Amino acid sequence: MKLIIRRSAILFIFSLLLLTGLVLFLGNYINNASTWVQHSSNRHLYTDGKLNTTGNIYDRSGRLLLEMIEGNINFHEDTTIRTAVMHATGDLNDNVATGALVAFRDRLSGWNFFNGVYEFDDMNTSGNDITLNLDAQLCATAYRELAGHKGAVGIYNYETGEIICMVSTPSFDPAHPGNIPFDDPRHEGVYINRLLSSVYVPGSIFKLVTSAAAIDHIPHVKEKVYKCEGKIQIGEDIVSCLTPCGEVTLEQALATSCNTTFAQISLELGSKTLQDYANAAGFNSTMHVDGIQTGMGRVDLSDAEGANLAWAGIGQYTNTANPLNFMAFMGAIANGGVRVPPSLLSDEGSFASLIRPLIKKERIIPPKTAEKLGRMMRNNVTSTYGEWNFKGLELCAKTGTAEVGEGKLPHAWFAGYLDREDYPLAFVVIVENSGSGLRVAAPIAANILRAAVN
Amino acid sequence: MNNLGESLKQIWDSCINSIADISATMEIMNLELPSAIFTLIIRWILPLLAITILWRCILPLLQVRKQKAVWGYLYSRGGAKTPIKHWENSIGRSNSSDIVINLPYISKNHAVLTFRDGTWFITDLNSKNGVKVNGEKIEKTASLTPGDVISLGGKEMVLFPGEKEAGQAPQLDIISSFISSSKQVKTGVTFFLILLFQALGCLQVCLSMGDNLNPIIPQVFLLFIFVECLFYFITRQYSRKYFELELLCFFLCGLNLLIVASAAPHSLFTQLLAIVFGIAVYMAIEAIIRDLGRANRLKYILVASALVLLVLNLTIGEVRFGAKRWIDLGFITFQPSEFVKIAFIMAGTATLDRLLTVRNMTAFIGFTAICVGSLVLMRDFGMVVVFFGAFIVIAFMRSGDLRTIALTSSGAVLGAIAVTSFIPYIATRLEAWGNVWDHAYTIGYQQTQTMIAAASGGLIGVGGGNGYLSGIAAADTDLVFGMLCEEWGLLIAFIAVFIIVFFSIYALLLTKKCRSSFYAIAACGAASIFLIQTALNVLGSVDVLPLTGITIPFISRGGSSMIASWGLLALIKSADERLRPKTKKYYIKEGDRS
Repeated sequence: MKLIIRRSAILFIFSLLLLTGLVLFLGNYINNASTWVQHSSNRHLYTDGKLNTTGNIYDRSGRLLLEMIEGNINFHEDTTIRTAVMHATGDLNDNVATGALVAFRDRLSGWNFFNGVYEFDDMNTSGNDITLNLDAQLCATAYRELAGHKGAVGIYNYETGEIICMVSTPSFDPAHPGNIPFDDPRHEGVYINRLLSSVYVPGSIFKLVTSAAAIDHIPHVKEKVYKCEGKIQIGEDIVSCLTPCGEVTLEQALATSCNTTFAQISLELGSKTLQDYANAAGFNSTMHVDGIQTGMGRVDLSDAEGANLAWAGIGQYTNTANPLNFMAFMGAIANGGVRVPPSLLSDEGSFASLIRPLIKKERIIPPKTAEKLGRMMRNNVTSTYGEWNFKGLELCAKTGTAEVGEGKLPHAWFAGYLDREDYPLAFVVIVENSGSGLRVAAPIAANILRAAVN
Repeated sequence: MNNLGESLKQIWDSCINSIADISATMEIMNLELPSAIFTLIIRWILPLLAITILWRCILPLLQVRKQKAVWGYLYSRGGAKTPIKHWENSIGRSNSSDIVINLPYISKNHAVLTFRDGTWFITDLNSKNGVKVNGEKIEKTASLTPGDVISLGGKEMVLFPGEKEAGQAPQLDIISSFISSSKQVKTGVTFFLILLFQALGCLQVCLSMGDNLNPIIPQVFLLFIFVECLFYFITRQYSRKYFELELLCFFLCGLNLLIVASAAPHSLFTQLLAIVFGIAVYMAIEAIIRDLGRANRLKYILVASALVLLVLNLTIGEVRFGAKRWIDLGFITFQPSEFVKIAFIMAGTATLDRLLTVRNMTAFIGFTAICVGSLVLMRDFGMVVVFFGAFIVIAFMRSGDLRTIALTSSGAVLGAIAVTSFIPYIATRLEAWGNVWDHAYTIGYQQTQTMIAAASGGLIGVGGGNGYLSGIAAADTDLVFGMLCEEWGLLIAFIAVFIIVFFSIYALLLTKKCRSSFYAIAACGAASIFLIQTALNVLGSVDVLPLTGITIPFISRGGSSMIASWGLLALIKSADERLRPKTKKYYIKEGDRS
């Protein structure tokens, strides 16, 4: 019998196989059940392909951005507001994949892991309401400022991670979706949330990455003087500035955005160091905003040398940047080198507000580096951009004018943060194909930021 | 980590919301209020009940280990006293023998010493130097009386039975029986909890139907509860065996009825009939194979019947859904392949002496080939996998020859792949495997709907009768795991699967103490069929494995499946030797054999 008893172990192996399969399923379930439940064939949530119940969406001040009454979805009563937050709320036809109606459908329909889709009272869906961190009025202001352009504005609190402004243009009035002229090139990409999903050539804002690397790796960089005669020859190519900057330190070169200086610095640093700092700053990786994946800016310096490396350090070459990722980098600089991930959903007074900060904060540059870089960004504003334009904001920023070639106007960037304890805000503004960062993006940012602190 | 945090947050929020909901709704007069409140509360109670029932059934079954018995002793020259620890004991030079004799004239597997029906037997396993009893060489098998001298290749031993009277099963001694009865989990309470679960579940399903209530549902459940009570009291009165195993099956049958009530109430009564018939078959098989002689005769009858059934199926069988698996007798249709399973296990099992004498399994392999071949012709490929798995288990337990089994298995699998890749619907199933979401409305429809249903149910379900999966074809057979998850919750669905896993753990524990390798192999074979069926069904419906048209034992709707499951259960139960300890009342009447 001992023989038989030993051999019966094969049954044990079969049992383990079944249990393994169960564990696999359980893992699948935990990761994906919220996605499965949102499938449009789920008759618990959808009738005839339409969502049959949803909670309300509020902004941080309690404004009602979206509600469902008798099977119909209603948006905010003010046209500008609802157009400005359209990418955040989503539209009636689920065209905006990153909008709340699609991305947070499980919460809006009241699903949770424990209860499934069970609702005790179908009429009372207040448990499924969500509150966004956005300030709808500020978004409306941003939308008006961007009017006519294509671009994006993002403002967030770099200490708590709350995104208070997220606007992408072109947008449309979600209450009247039929009126969009789709073949009009002015509405190209209207369903895309450019702040979250797009990538653009960064131009000079990338010099912040190069500066961070320089601060850490170039000895005596504070006093070191670079010579700018307007252009510099590297191999067979020429890197040039608009006007010769003369003899400049790193700080001055950042303020005047001197290309030749940064070309020299890039060559000094070498492609590996620059690549490392780009990766730390959030390039070549995506972020997740409450589960919504952002676009990915790319910096690939593996084959970059000579002039290519120089251009990369200036923010051209093949570099691309995702606006939200870059905004988070600004927040990291403001926050002593620790990046707090941006979030759209308010978790005020809930369990998650306790654990979220513990899980996701990340140090991306050393605190001293952040401090020095921040001071240089403050200097940009006071010495070059004109503090009078940004009075009271305690602004630290960098402009960017990203050349895109093909005879088109460059992208205008303006990114940075407010060094104020009462308004710890980091921001990014990008206006596509519109001109110089200082002349186009900076005034827009100034207006919006002033509205934010008032 | 991220999802765990969010899940915790959601649990917290849902608790708060539930409380808010209740107070908010108190203000609204709602006709559906009582039913809604009932569902709200019952969703929490039923999973807790299920866990309690499972726990209470497992504990006593795990107490198998505590019994240690010695049947007798073999005294050899020189005073060595070897205890005989099993009903069937192999004697030989091999290390895996029960009684190891390491002497040159002893063969690796020399003899088998068996205790059966109150008598000891010794069987010669075609050893080189033979076996002598009291000086005379034996032919094949000889019976022994205490004091006989057994000689194996010159080595002499004398048999003396243990301190008990020959013929009685070993009983726990006085002290341990008191101890275990005080720790004893009261079966009666467990039974009551099961009935409570079924009653509450039935009420839930009835309430969820509202005006559409089919009156047959409460009637059938009352009948079922009556049948269960009948079984319980009869068994308790006339048998001293533990019956937690049957209680677990009643629980699963209860789930079955709840599923059928939700998905196909018109066939509820038929399903109950199948359960009753299954229980009858169970009791019959258990009674018959208790005696090994009868068991062997039954084996041949079953094998013959199986062959007849297979031939009938191939000739007059009905084609449904592309497979030719049913026979229509006019008033009833049944699936012969389900019954062939029982015959298959019986065909493969054998007592230890036969096992070690007849080294090859030609007959069994032949029978397997016929069964598998017929199933292939019937296009019942899921069942082919089940039979194949059971074959591996039985073949391994009989021969221990991993190499040959691996060889035959790989050959068979390669052949299978070659053949099946030409069959369209199998190719479709394989194509859908792993990417059902890309084909959510076509070839992946059933799996995606199951996963959506499971996700919608959450941990504790949306409430019996409130699910939508029941409207899909095969929801109560192939996708029944999804229905369980959706209506009764992930917890209860997992508990149901654990019960099946537990059957095999139970079979494993029983083999240590059972009377003959006949029962051991039968129990393991039956348990393996349960496992494989459950694995194919559950994992196939959620795209961990390709989808096959296989039923879960006890839980899926189906008359033949239900009856066959009870039949296989009898094979597992027959290996159970444990008896409930006598209570104080009966202890006085020690001569009683009840």
